[in-house]
Formats: sequence, C-alpha cells, structure tokens
Amino acid sequence: MLHLKKGLWVLVSFMLFVGILAGCTSSEVDNSSGKEDKDGKVTLRMIESITSPARTTLLKEMIAKFEEENPNIKVELISPPLQSADEKITQMLMAKEDIDVLEVREQTVKNWATNQFIEDLSAYTSKWEDWNSLTETIKHGATAVDDKPYYIPYGVYEKTLFYRKDWFEEAGIEVPETWDELVDAAIKLTDPSKNRYGYSFRGGAGSSDYIEFMTWSFLGEKIATKDAYFTSDGKVMFDTPEAKQVLDTFVEVYKKASPPDSISWSYPEMVQGFTSGMTAMLIQDPEVIVTAEENMKEGTWDTAPLPKGTPSGVAQQSAGTAGWGIGAFSKHKEEAWKLVSFLSSPEQNLFFAKENSLIPIHLSAGDDPYFKEGYFSAYIEMSAKPEEFLIADRPVHYKGYAEYRALAEKDIQALLLDKLSKEDVLAKWTDFWKKEKENHK
Amino acid sequence: MKIQTETVTERGLPLFRMSKHGLFIFLCLLPAIILVSIFTYYPLLKGVIMAFQNYSAYDLMNIRFIGLENFKTIMADIGFKESLVNSFYWVFFSLIPQFFIGFIVALMLRRKFKGRGVYQAFIFFPWAMSGFLIGLIWRWMLNGQGGVINDLLMKLGIIDTAIPFLADPTWAMVSVIVANVWYGITFFAIMILAALQSIPEELFEAAKIDGAGYFQQLFNITVPYILPTLIVTTLLRVIWILNFPDLIYSLTNGGPAGSTHILSTYMLEKIMFGQNYGQAAAVGVIIIFILIFFSIFYLLATKFNKAGDF
Amino acid sequence: MMRQITWKLSIKVVFLSLFLVFTVFPLYWIFVTSLKPSNEMFTIPIQYWPENVTFENYINIIKISNFDVYIMNSLILSLIAGVISLIIATLGGYVLARFEFKGKTQVIFAFFITQMIPLFIGLAPLYLLMSKLELINRLPSLMLMYTVMMVPFCTVMMKGFFERIPSSLEEAAMMDGCSRITALFKVIIPVMLPGLAATFIFAFVQCWNELFLAVMFIDKEEAKTIPVAMNSFITKFDIDWGSMSAATVLSVIPTLLLFAFAQKYIVEGMTQGSIKG
Repeated sequence: MLHLKKGLWVLVSFMLFVGILAGCTSSEVDNSSGKEDKDGKVTLRMIESITSPARTTLLKEMIAKFEEENPNIKVELISPPLQSADEKITQMLMAKEDIDVLEVREQTVKNWATNQFIEDLSAYTSKWEDWNSLTETIKHGATAVDDKPYYIPYGVYEKTLFYRKDWFEEAGIEVPETWDELVDAAIKLTDPSKNRYGYSFRGGAGSSDYIEFMTWSFLGEKIATKDAYFTSDGKVMFDTPEAKQVLDTFVEVYKKASPPDSISWSYPEMVQGFTSGMTAMLIQDPEVIVTAEENMKEGTWDTAPLPKGTPSGVAQQSAGTAGWGIGAFSKHKEEAWKLVSFLSSPEQNLFFAKENSLIPIHLSAGDDPYFKEGYFSAYIEMSAKPEEFLIADRPVHYKGYAEYRALAEKDIQALLLDKLSKEDVLAKWTDFWKKEKENHK
Repeated sequence: MKIQTETVTERGLPLFRMSKHGLFIFLCLLPAIILVSIFTYYPLLKGVIMAFQNYSAYDLMNIRFIGLENFKTIMADIGFKESLVNSFYWVFFSLIPQFFIGFIVALMLRRKFKGRGVYQAFIFFPWAMSGFLIGLIWRWMLNGQGGVINDLLMKLGIIDTAIPFLADPTWAMVSVIVANVWYGITFFAIMILAALQSIPEELFEAAKIDGAGYFQQLFNITVPYILPTLIVTTLLRVIWILNFPDLIYSLTNGGPAGSTHILSTYMLEKIMFGQNYGQAAAVGVIIIFILIFFSIFYLLATKFNKAGDF
Repeated sequence: MMRQITWKLSIKVVFLSLFLVFTVFPLYWIFVTSLKPSNEMFTIPIQYWPENVTFENYINIIKISNFDVYIMNSLILSLIAGVISLIIATLGGYVLARFEFKGKTQVIFAFFITQMIPLFIGLAPLYLLMSKLELINRLPSLMLMYTVMMVPFCTVMMKGFFERIPSSLEEAAMMDGCSRITALFKVIIPVMLPGLAATFIFAFVQCWNELFLAVMFIDKEEAKTIPVAMNSFITKFDIDWGSMSAATVLSVIPTLLLFAFAQKYIVEGMTQGSIKG
C-alpha cells in the first residue's frame, strides 16, 4: 500500500503544479473574448477557411501591419482546420456569432448570402477608391451572386499543368497540349515498380472540379455563356456525348497512369505526390508554385497551359475566387471594412499574392515581373490567347451547387471502383441539374 | 442511536430508511444529474426533434417539420445500407479478435514474471492514444506507395506486389478493422486481467488437488468466475465500437466511395459535407434504437440482470 | 513434467513477443518517421532506421506552431475535467452503491443510455447552447463537456468499487462519531485508492484524446488542444508526414508516461471493482 500512496502523492503534486500554471495562463486566454477593452479598443474576429500554417503566418504578418496603422483595432484571427472549415463557419453563423471578417468562397457565397449571414458590401465599395483598379475577373467574381459584392477576392485561382521537365526530357516526350496527349504521356511515364506514375489524380474531395473543367473543355463553345452547366441549346452538360468522353478519359488516366491510392487523394496528397517525385503531372492552382519551389530542385519541373479537349480544341475553366467578406452579425462593421479594404489594397494584395503565388487582383500588379516570368508564364500564355483558353462561370447562383459537389464526389469514387457505370453517373447528374433548373426559376 | 437497523448487510440489502438520507442522496447525485440532463439529454432531445425536420444548412430559411421524410430518404440511400452492413462487420470482426487476443494476453500476464510491469507498460500504449492519431499512423503505414506494411509483407515473402490497402473497398475495410483491433485489445486485456487477479488462488489449488488440467481449470473456474466481467465488458465494447468514428475518420474517412462508412461516420459525413442536420439526426436516432434493442436482447440472452453495472 | 513446462513457457514467450512486436511496431514506425529528413521520407527501399537522423521535424513543429500551448491546454483540461469527474462520480457512485431509493434504477439506466448516444446527434443544438452561454472558444466549455462525458461511466465504475468494500468499515467510523461524509473521505477513500487512480486515468486519457467536441468548440490558437492542433496539420498544402509524426510523438508522450507509471494501479484498481457477481 505504501508505494501506492507515494505514487498518488506524485500525481497530486503534479496536478497542483499544473493547476498553478493553469491559473496563470487561463487569465491570458480569457480577456481576448471581451469585445471592447477599457481603453476603447475594438477587437475584430476574423476567420479564414482555406487554412495552412504557412498562409496563416502570412495573414498574421499583414494583420500586424494593419494593427500598427490602426492602433485602436485589434484583430483576432481564427484558423479552423481546413477539412471542415466552411462547415465550421456556417455553424458559427447559424448561431449568430459576431464574426467580423470571414473568408468567403464560391461554394459558400450563395448559401451565406441567401441566409443573410454576410453583408452586401455595395455601400462600402461605392466609396472605395481601389474598386476601379480591380481586374474585370475580380469584379466579376465579387458580384457573382445577385450582382452584389458579397466579398472582395484576394486572388484568382486558375489551374495550370505542372510537369516533371526532367522525366519528359529523359523519355523524349513532348509536353501534352491536349487531354489525349496527356493520357498517352502519363501511361508512358508510369512505372509502378519504380513507384512512378504519370498523373497526380484527384479522386477525393474536390474531384468534381476536375470533371467540371474537363467537360467544359471538351464541350468548348457549346457551353452556355451565363449558365455553364448547360449547353447553349439548353441541355444539361452531362447529357452529351462529350461528357461520356470525359469520363472515359478520366477513368483511363486513373486506371492506367495514376497511383491506386489516388482514388481518395485530395489537394494535399496530389500536390505531395508531385513534389515528392511520385507523379509526373499535376493540374492545380498557382499556389502550388510556392510549394514546388520549396521542395523541388530547379529545372526538374515547369508549368504549361491547361490541356485542351477534343474535338473542341480549347481548354475552358473557371476563374475561381475567394475573398474577404463581412459577417451580418458583426458589431463593428466599419472597422471590419477597414480591415477588408486594407487587405485588398494594391500594396497588401500584391504582397499576399506573391507570397502565396496567386494571381493578384489589381490591374497595376500586372506590371510586376514576378507574374510575367518563370513559372507564371503558363498563365500569361493562357490569358494571351482567350479564344483557346476560355473562362466559364461556376453555377454558384444555384442553390444546389454545393450539394451537387458533395454528391458528385461520391459518385466519382463509385465510378472508379466500377460500382456505378458511366451512363448511370451521367444520368444521375443530368437529373440533378434538370431539377435544379426547374427549381431555380 | 439506531445504527444497528441502519446497516447495510454484506449482500447489499438496504436497511437505510429513505427519508433520513433523502437529502444526502439527492445532494450527492445532483451534480451528475444536472450535468447529464442539460448537456446530454437536452441536446439529445433537440436532436431527436431535428430528425423530423427539414434542417439543412443549404436551406436554413425553410426549417419545418416533415414527418418521417428524413428517415425515408436515408433508408432509400445505398450509402446508408452499406454503412449499416459495414457497421456489423466493423463491430463483429473488431470485437472477436480483440476479445480473444485480449483474453489470451490477460491469461499469460496473470502470474507475475520478471519484467511483467515493463511488458504491461508497453502493451498498454495503444489505449493511451486517440483514435484519430491511430488512424493517421495506420494510414501512413498502409500507404499504397512505399507504405511500410506492404514492404514488410513483401520482405516476408507473403505477397509479390503491393496491395492497394486504402484504394480497394475490401482491403480498406480490412485495414480499418485491423487498426481497431490493434487499439482495442488492450482494453480487454486490462479488464480481463483485473478480473483474473480477483479470483481467489484457493480455487485453483483445490482444482489442482482434484487433478484438473489447465483447460479444465480454465473452463470450470476461470471463465465462470469472470463471466460477469466478460459480459459487461463485451456489451460496453459493442456500444463504444459502433459509436467510434475517430479512427475511420482519419484513416479512410469512409472511402473509397463510402465502402468503409459505418453508421457513425456516415452521420458525421451528413453533417460535415452534406450539412444536413435533420438527416444526420435521423441516423443518430437509428443508432440509439439499434443499441437499445441490442442491449436488451444481449442481456436477456446472457441472462444477465445487472444491466446498470456497466 | 519439466519438458511440458518449458514447452508451455516457450509458447508463452513466442506469443507475448509477437504480440509485443505487433503492438509496438506502429509506435516505432512513427518515431522513426519523425527522425527522417523530408527528402528521405518516401525513398525506396524503405529505411527502417533513417540514414541521417535529424531533429528538424521537431524543431519545425515547435517553430511553426505553439505546441507548448497545446500541450499545456490539454494537460490543464484533462486534469481538471478528470478531477471534477472523479469527485462527482465518487459522490454519485457512493450513494448508488450504499442506498436503495426510488428512481435509482432510472438514474443508472439514464447513465447507461448516455453511452449509446452518438456524439453528433446533439452537436448542433449543443453548439447553440454553448454559444448562448458564451463558452465558444474557451477552455472551460470543454472542461464542462468532458466532465459531462465522463461522469456517467465513472460514476458506475465507482459504484462497483464501493460495492466491493464492506460497509462495516464506515459504520465503525460512524460509531466513533464521524459523520457519513467524513467517514467516506477518511476511511473508505484511502482503501480504494487504486480504484480512484484507475478511474482518474481512464477519464484523463479520454479527455486528452477527445477530438470532435474540441474541433467543434475551439479554433482560437490560445485555446487549442492537441487533437485540434493535429487535425489542423492536415493542411491544404501537404500531409507533412515529418511534422505530423513528430507532433504525434510529442503528443503521446504525456499519456504514455502516465501509463507507464500507472499501469500497475490501473490493473490493481480494476481488480478492486471488477467482479460484482
């Protein structure tokens, strides 16, 4: 019994020790939830969605500058884990938490706007001197829902092809310009015994985006301009022979040229597959440039324009945006706008875009050499040929878009496992969008 | 002093008079009851109500009662049926090896030997870890490209080519179950070991004198003596395993194509990615029903009448 | 006879060794991974011991995150929730073991049912409730929730321990003029220390490892617990296995130490309460 008592003593004293420490630290934790300090300081709560340690550090740097310029405003940055961040923000908004500044994305803007969770920023943007220097893409993205600016984008997400220059040279293959060429090249570069695969496939979360831009590319000009999930003659885009072709290509590149595990790969895994030297090609956002620069040797990789569809001969994708909006339950909207406009100013945005390798939002940034040379040249090439590289709008104004994405992700995995046939999948999606269109009127 | 009439006998027969001790009983139980009512049963009640509502984050302006609609939608979903079947596999094939290996380990640790303490310290480790971390570790080990498990299996000559553990539906299910077995053996081992050590040594000595062999002792003395522990521990494990999404969440997240979803991860997904709280709540109600019916059936079948003593 | 014993012994040795390897290997592997430099992470053939041992992952983790804060939060949280649960459970368990009263079965039944309730069913209403109480993003909210989570099971565990202790013990003390509460703390509690230790460790470990509630209620850096932080490591950029494994090792060390130190009491404690038949 004696040894037991001794052991318990150790435990108790340990607890006491920690308890004392707790007393010291908890007081620190507590005061930040108070909204207005005694000295009239305002605390803003800002929540981000596409989180990563590197980006959070960057944001903190910018916030520090903001606080320096506005000594009576304090910003408290909340960074929930990426996987469930949007869900988390929705939850907070449902509880009417007073979030001041929040990251709004294409998938969330419609939902939050209809539920009156986020502010219409018109009143602020009309008085904002930097509004007019925004690029057309950004203005367009900001006002995608109801023609009202619900958020100020911080950059554009457009996809490009990343490839292993050294492997292509070694095998004597040209960099693919079309999806057919991409599949051929990917198969040639695949050698499972060396743990090498041709393509960083995405079968997990976000896979529907790939079906989306591939279908747009294969259909090309046939896509309706203002209603991109439908063709100009009113059919759902999945109700076409081209859509079937897309699925053929999609399944083939998975089965013949991608790691089997990639059936559940999402952003982190596919990027890592490429940067760790497992895969030869990756189609992703410009953000990858920074990651690749950090992890790969110069000269082993490069970027190229997005592959084109057949028979359309064009590539077509969305100019995705995400940005900063103001919460409807905020008690400090003026201050919140100060922060949003600060983050969106030409100077701050250029800094953010460079560090995060994003396409910046202001016209003036186009002159910056960083976005003209090197790895960004693929983007320059794409924007120089607008008739070959088209831009379509995601159907964010449909209530069911987010729901479709979740549904499609599951169907895509089922398709890859042969649990569902291509025809079934297309019929299912066609049905979904027909219903959406009927309900939308 | 009426102490004599107020004693509790060894068999636990109550002789205390309620009225005298009413306040004491009430005060002692109060904190537990208040906490559990407000923070478990109140949200549960709200949740059950949600199961009959159109409660979706995509459609917040339109929350209303829709009767059994959520249940109908779920029942019609292939994903639900799949996760129901998976739940059965998940519980059954996790439980059986956990139980038997745990039992054997406990038997072997019953008698003191040199280094037993250290050994125990090592094999109890899994229980100290979170399901989430265990899922991550196994995901790293099962990685189809350069994962260590494939490498070991190939080195041992068991397989020639790498198995896509997490990409193939069947292998993925095997993987999550193996990880869960790894995690759960310890719990059984601890509980059974504790029960074994409470068996009076005289019982064994008497049996030895009667000439009983090892297995005779095992089945005539050990098992009957610890049977209550076995029954209760097993029931608890069934409940816990079914309501244990952490490991699957971080190992496969239900994939590929929902082939490793169990009811609780299916429910989690309804919330996290479908944002449909109504349907998620409906799944929750179904889980509770299944567990209540299972417990009643199980306790009747094992003729165990002390359900409360979990 | 002798031969039979050695034969039995060797089965035992082989089985226990295999089991040890099975149990320890994943931990070994995550440890080895944490010592590998990032460019060796995926090299083939796989290295079972890193060619160049490095602590860069650990340094990195400590640099990019506030790991000390997370550990501290988790410690405080688990200790306080564990102790409070233990106190509440001791009182409740004692009463349930010693008295017979109206509604007792119902209370026990209600506690039993809590084990079956899937966490997520009440999550959304719970969030709204916590939000109203202004407890979002504050450690006390988790302390409260964890206590709630642990109380039913711990209470019934304690009930089992009390039932094993003859009530003549406290009666003797009460004869000497002690009140019931004093008798409880002075006479009974010291006898059942192993049981208390086992219950506490059980509660501590559960709280230390809890993920979903923590992710739900906490996103402020200062209030993050280890599981929340680990969940954040799965970032958009890459599943950085180097940092991830280093963080795993760091985060399990406290519970492993606790277990290594306390495993004797766990078994001893459970033994006290195990058989009620």
